[in-house]
Amino acid sequence: MKRRDAIRAGGSIVASATLAGCLDTLGFQTQSAWRDPPLPSNRPDAVYYPAIVEEMGMYGMKEVPAEGVTFALMFSYPHRFWTVTGSNKQRVVVNSDDSLHLMASLWDTESQTVLPVDISLEVLNDGESVTQRSLWPMLSQTMGFHYGDNFSLPDEGQYTARLSVGPVQARRTGSFESRFENSMETEIDFEFDTTNTYNLDLRRLGTKSGERGAVEPTMEEMPAGRTPMESALPGEIIGAASSGDATFVISYIETASRFGDQSYLAVSPRTPYNRIMLPLMSLSATVVRDGSTVFDDILTETLDPVFGDHYGGTVGQLQSGDTVTVTVDAPPQMSRHDGYETAFFDMPPIEVTV
Amino acid sequence: MSDSQRWLSKRDFMRVAVAIGGTSALSACLERTETPDLPRGTDDPSSLPPRQHAWNQFLERDDHGNVKQPRHHVLLYVDYTGDTPTESERETVEAAFTSLERAYQRGFQGLLFTVGYSPYYFERAFDSGPGGVDLPTPEALAPFEDPTPDDPDAVVHLASDYAQVVLAAEEALKGNRGTVNEVEVTGFGEVFEVRDRRTGFIGDGLPAENQDVQGIPDDEPVPEDAPLFMGFKSGFEKNQAPEERVTIQDGPFADGTTQHISRIRLHLDQWYDQDSRSQRVGKMFCPAHAEQDAVEGPGDNLGNDSQLGSCPAHTEEDARTSGMVGHAQKVARAEDGERPVILRRDFDTTDGDAAGVHFVSLQQSIADFAATRQAMNGTDVAENSAVGTRTNNGILQYLTVKRRGNYLIPPRQYRSLPAPNPA
Ligand code: HEM
Repeated sequence: MKRRDAIRAGGSIVASATLAGCLDTLGFQTQSAWRDPPLPSNRPDAVYYPAIVEEMGMYGMKEVPAEGVTFALMFSYPHRFWTVTGSNKQRVVVNSDDSLHLMASLWDTESQTVLPVDISLEVLNDGESVTQRSLWPMLSQTMGFHYGDNFSLPDEGQYTARLSVGPVQARRTGSFESRFENSMETEIDFEFDTTNTYNLDLRRLGTKSGERGAVEPTMEEMPAGRTPMESALPGEIIGAASSGDATFVISYIETASRFGDQSYLAVSPRTPYNRIMLPLMSLSATVVRDGSTVFDDILTETLDPVFGDHYGGTVGQLQSGDTVTVTVDAPPQMSRHDGYETAFFDMPPIEVTV
Repeated sequence: MSDSQRWLSKRDFMRVAVAIGGTSALSACLERTETPDLPRGTDDPSSLPPRQHAWNQFLERDDHGNVKQPRHHVLLYVDYTGDTPTESERETVEAAFTSLERAYQRGFQGLLFTVGYSPYYFERAFDSGPGGVDLPTPEALAPFEDPTPDDPDAVVHLASDYAQVVLAAEEALKGNRGTVNEVEVTGFGEVFEVRDRRTGFIGDGLPAENQDVQGIPDDEPVPEDAPLFMGFKSGFEKNQAPEERVTIQDGPFADGTTQHISRIRLHLDQWYDQDSRSQRVGKMFCPAHAEQDAVEGPGDNLGNDSQLGSCPAHTEEDARTSGMVGHAQKVARAEDGERPVILRRDFDTTDGDAAGVHFVSLQQSIADFAATRQAMNGTDVAENSAVGTRTNNGILQYLTVKRRGNYLIPPRQYRSLPAPNPA
């Protein structure tokens, strides 16, 4: 208990000195600007350009060959974000002792499909645990879909990040059917150097900020969790519509062995502009034919090598004139960074006619 | 008195003393506080209940009739040093236990204890599992955990409201003291070798006083009146299995019970710094409790029941529409009729200078625990809804199970190095 206090006391002097210095160079005058920077006054209930976008740094990528997956660990400044439970969001401001924002991602190495599975991160120093937690699933404009949180580290120096996941809980189809069933773990070493962290580029978007739109994800070495382009989706596209500013592409597959040789409805929701996946939603669908309901059930979150992360159900043969309604029972339960925190909450049903 | 002792409050000091253990902690403990004048125990073992785990009648109850767990705990992990137990070894062990029963009255103001034996003990000593009881070796109980199995031969659980008592009892068992509470005692001698000790506490104020550890934010967020680190009261009368329900009904170990002990690490930075009170209530109990703001402070207003009502039946629906499910709501799905099938005797710990829980649970069979834990995993719920493996899935996000162990707590008459078929 006391040893840790000593380390902490020492560490926080270094960190706060560096932080204060860096805030000045960035033009932030006050601690509160850093904690909870001002939001554009005219935020729409939609995806918008934030006031500031920050660059990310890469601490490392590591393949787990036996599982055919790759983990990555990235860093940036401590960030404000919003956690989501149901339709409620809770603003999380930067804490005075937060040192940095750590982000992790996991993908199928070959197809570059990002896996929606909660990632736990334990930070070790000399083999001793410094902190451990389960990261929030997150959406940000520069990173796309990832997992992350703000962390307080006792000091600058050498650390090891132990990243671990359980099996992917979404249903899996096709060549993914027997994949991602095991717990997986890897370790990535990194050096926490405040100069590195606070030298990351920071861009003000000026008059654009608050306008509808999004910047492109910036990480080049790794996938941002994009869904396929509409034209690349298999089956017959029976509609694409927007709800809560998310785009829902609805595709119908007459028959495919990986969906049990049955007629399959695939709903692929994505962010506007960048087509980022939207996992952790509850969706359901109805099919109405000549005034009577022929299908009414939940759609199951499914990870497919071609569709990627989507929501699907076996609906029976659709006929021309059928009305398909997709209902959002719960919006995506992902934490959001600036620019995504007002979108994807109020999501009315989507109706398309075959 | 040293400087480091001066700034410790009395309660804090007692907890630290239990955590440090040993004769020096004990003497520091005795020196600092007046030795309570505790009643002696009994010379007549037959006056004690046949069930080791019959504790409730010796525990205090709060205003609502909820059993209050003793405030201080030690789990003593021991290995049997011989090959196959002999009568004389049994007598040594039994003498140690009966001498403790002579020294302290059974109860929260005296001493409560149980001793349980692992499947490894039965296999090593007898090449056979215990008769009539399914006692599996510990395994992972969630798809996303990877606990280390605990494989000592036996675990002694010591509990009392007085830190001095659990410490003195521990020292007595280890053979380091000839008298406790002015009564002569004997220890395990060479029969058992201590391999580990785990310690902890539960009760209003203790978590707040001991929150300066890893896993809890530095701004001391644990409320003064909370009995546990996560801030809520737990173990309401109606949400605990009765002792009778967790008791083995027949076979050689009738009147015994099974014990599961998990070592859990808590990560409460997010819980206290990032979740709102409403999110905490929703994730601990159920979304309806959050919406109705049904829990005041740690939850004394709930009385003797977590008041889940129709929450458990609505688990899947809540997951689909609220994007979140509560811990209590999920585990209540494992109830048998009206009540849970496990009796929780868990407590908090700062072992390793990290916030954690020693989750001690009693049940008729280990399968009852596994079923309850499966309900807590909510894998079924997560697969069909917006709820994640851990995210918004009760309190799974805030805990990691590091170790698991299974034990058989025999009836008192067979508590000393039992054979698979005693009698
Ligand atoms: C480690 C941290 C944990 C904390 C802080 C915690 C806390 C709570 C709280 C506040 C309640 C509601 C009040 C009550 O009825 O007692 C509850 C209920 C319950 N918990 Fe936990 N719990 C934890 C872990 C576990 C574990 C590991 C299990 C076992 C699988 C478990 C099993 C139960 C059961 C069976 C109930 C009663 C459900 C019913 O009403 O039927 N808990 N817990």
